[in-house]
Amino acid sequence: MRRLAASGVLLGIALLLIVPLDAQDLSDRAKQIGGKFMCMCGCSQVLTQCNHVGCTTSSSMLKELNQSLASGGSETAITQMFVQEFGTKVYAEPPKSGFSLVAWTLPSVYLALGTVLVVFVISRWRKHALEPVAGTGNAAAIPQELLERARARAARETED
Amino acid sequence: MDVFGSFALILAFVCAVYAFAGGIGAIVTRHPLLVKSTRQAGIATCCLIFLATFSLEYLFFSDNFANAYVVSHSNRDLSTFYKIAALWSGQEGSLLFWSFLLSVYVFSVLITYRNKNGELMPYVGVVMAGVQIFFLTLNNFVASPFKALAVPGANGAMNLVARADGNGLTPLLQYPEMVIHPPNLYAGYTGFTIPFAFALGALLARYPGEKWIHLTRKWTMIAWMFQSMGILLGAHWAYAVLGWGGYWGWDPVENASLLPWLTGTAFLHSVMMQEKRGMMKVWNVWLVFCTFALCILGTLLTRSGVVSSVHAFAQSSIGTWFVSFLAIILVVCLGAYLKNRDYLKSENQLDAIVSRESSFLFNNLMLLVACVAVLSGTLFPVFSEWFTGNRISVGAPFFNKVNIPIGLLLLFLTGVGPLLAWRKTSTESLKRNFGWPLAMGIIGGALAFALGFREFYSLVCLILCVFVASTISMEFYRGAKVIRTRSGASLFTSVVDLTMRNTRRYGGYIVHMGMVLVFIGLAGAAFNRDTQKEMQLGSTMQIGPYTLVLQSVDSRPERNYTAQRMIIEVMRDNKPIMMLYPEKRRFVTTVENGTMVAIYSTLKEDLYVVFAGQSPDTQLPVIHAYLNPLVKWIWLGGAVVVLGTLVALLPNRRAVLVLAGAQEPSTATQTLQPGRLTPSVITREGHD
Repeated sequence: MRRLAASGVLLGIALLLIVPLDAQDLSDRAKQIGGKFMCMCGCSQVLTQCNHVGCTTSSSMLKELNQSLASGGSETAITQMFVQEFGTKVYAEPPKSGFSLVAWTLPSVYLALGTVLVVFVISRWRKHALEPVAGTGNAAAIPQELLERARARAARETED
Repeated sequence: MDVFGSFALILAFVCAVYAFAGGIGAIVTRHPLLVKSTRQAGIATCCLIFLATFSLEYLFFSDNFANAYVVSHSNRDLSTFYKIAALWSGQEGSLLFWSFLLSVYVFSVLITYRNKNGELMPYVGVVMAGVQIFFLTLNNFVASPFKALAVPGANGAMNLVARADGNGLTPLLQYPEMVIHPPNLYAGYTGFTIPFAFALGALLARYPGEKWIHLTRKWTMIAWMFQSMGILLGAHWAYAVLGWGGYWGWDPVENASLLPWLTGTAFLHSVMMQEKRGMMKVWNVWLVFCTFALCILGTLLTRSGVVSSVHAFAQSSIGTWFVSFLAIILVVCLGAYLKNRDYLKSENQLDAIVSRESSFLFNNLMLLVACVAVLSGTLFPVFSEWFTGNRISVGAPFFNKVNIPIGLLLLFLTGVGPLLAWRKTSTESLKRNFGWPLAMGIIGGALAFALGFREFYSLVCLILCVFVASTISMEFYRGAKVIRTRSGASLFTSVVDLTMRNTRRYGGYIVHMGMVLVFIGLAGAAFNRDTQKEMQLGSTMQIGPYTLVLQSVDSRPERNYTAQRMIIEVMRDNKPIMMLYPEKRRFVTTVENGTMVAIYSTLKEDLYVVFAGQSPDTQLPVIHAYLNPLVKWIWLGGAVVVLGTLVALLPNRRAVLVLAGAQEPSTATQTLQPGRLTPSVITREGHD
């Protein structure tokens, strides 16, 4: 019976029609550096996160990474190696130099410009609110229609 | 059925052109018969698109392998469930599905307002028909799903053929989420057509007052809800199917779905400024325009191959059509705005800097900054290629670095906004409203720190989550306490009563609470762990408190695929707690593989196990296990967001107290003495 079960298991494993995958045992350093590159199989995932079915690219890239680290390769050297091999598409995030710096500065520029705009808008609206209204100071002089409109507005604005 | 479907689509196109051209004629001549006939043409367009869609589904269900689209996306063994999903699995079918969902909205609008808003509806009808014409052009002349399968004959002519079976559906799409995720996302995208049509229509018609805002609010909320559900279901699909242990990878197509959601969220907030204070009219109109344009841009990114993505459809020339349509939209919107910008004159004045109005401005600022940051990051590879000749990728690490601080600021504003009063907030009220939530936030942060939350952003996120949850709870408690004092009902009943009295306000708070839960889930991502091991039968693997034991391996043939399954026992403290069955599927017709992740999910963490493959050296199965804290909170949060939106869509159950003098012009002739206004109860349906 045990032999039969063992045969079943072996048959099951033999039937595994999946693409072989290396069981990478990545060090923390390899994970940290690998997180800075994309897997080049086209899955649009970061190298260390690619678990794409049938992906042989990530396993070979990780192997290269591990080998470079084992032979004392620095992060810069590994980056150069991958860029040479795959081009600038391999970056998971744009490098903080050259034209790529634009990508990093743009969000701050948006935030700065937006904040300036909001502050400008607020100051303009405040100015409107502080402008004196003609004819104030005499409640009896307010036309009935205006009073009604003011009440309607007060009701609308306080109902939340 | 091929011919029937094609004919229905051609006829729908003709009707849509009539609805558009006749609608313009009706606006110019104001002839009642023309108005009526164009409306009916609009309804006929929708019905014909329904017929075309059902006929394509019929082709799938009847295994009609003489149709090229059916051959490419289905096969005889495909289950009924996935034959429905096959409709939107390819370019042609998904574009027809767009038209279908758009028609559901257009049909509902035309029927709902058939006898109302006579001045505005012809304009709205023309805009909706214009959008329908664009999609029907694609359905009929660019990407028709009703093409018959044909092969070139000996004389060079094409001969119609029929195949015995089809190619089958892509394995990645054969999951339950894929049957509900795309319809939700598409319903979101198409739903934003309605606020767009009302905004553009109102601007063109110079429709007086804020009525268009009231008319479109619910449609916007419906579209927003579907978009939210679509995004979250997509994230869940990525988590449960792709097997990489995450749920959001900042893929261009994911980003494309987020962009209109961000501007739509900004609109749902800023629209309150217009309703209550008559402010930000220009801003609101442009937010609606941009939201719709971003929906089209998202579709362009998905379908044109401009940016590379795993989600994208096959590259095609369809992008040119979308670029042209986008250009037309922007030109029409800009033209309408320039012509009628005086109509959008706002009553902009701000009584105090510390007010609800200011918080909405900053909320809009952060949402818009997030939107443009995601957009520019998504398009940066294209720009870098234009300027430098090298395509530089922008992946998840960039988006995380940029968007996490923005997200936290938004979370902060979610807590602050409701505590500020309209017009002006006094220092006293600030102290009263902020005291407890701040204290709770600090206590929550200290507890989280003591429990090991040392990662900066996660800790800040948790502090803010406690702060926001406290502000929302306080809002509910204060209101319910008043009702409870008067009615003597239980606190729970009072909370329900309170919510139903002002569904929009309290529904909105429920949505905020849902977002808090989502953020709690996101905070857990900083503590994800994973390990991978080749396993023999009976061998074990440790991750966190769990021990995984590979008990056995089996193979089971299913109708459309063969599954190879790992049978893994999960133990904790030497006690078995459950069995997990991660598997690989081999699809017969497509000869492709798929993954089925096994997840043991608790509120504290997810144990996520993937059968990652087979070692080429030892032939042993490789198991990849992840321990992802707090992920379940994201899905729970999503459900709460949907619940909150549904509550906000409900009409108020009871009458509310308003000033009779303010609502009834007839009383205006009475002499009213200041300070002696008599309140009375007037039922106001749909009060907000």
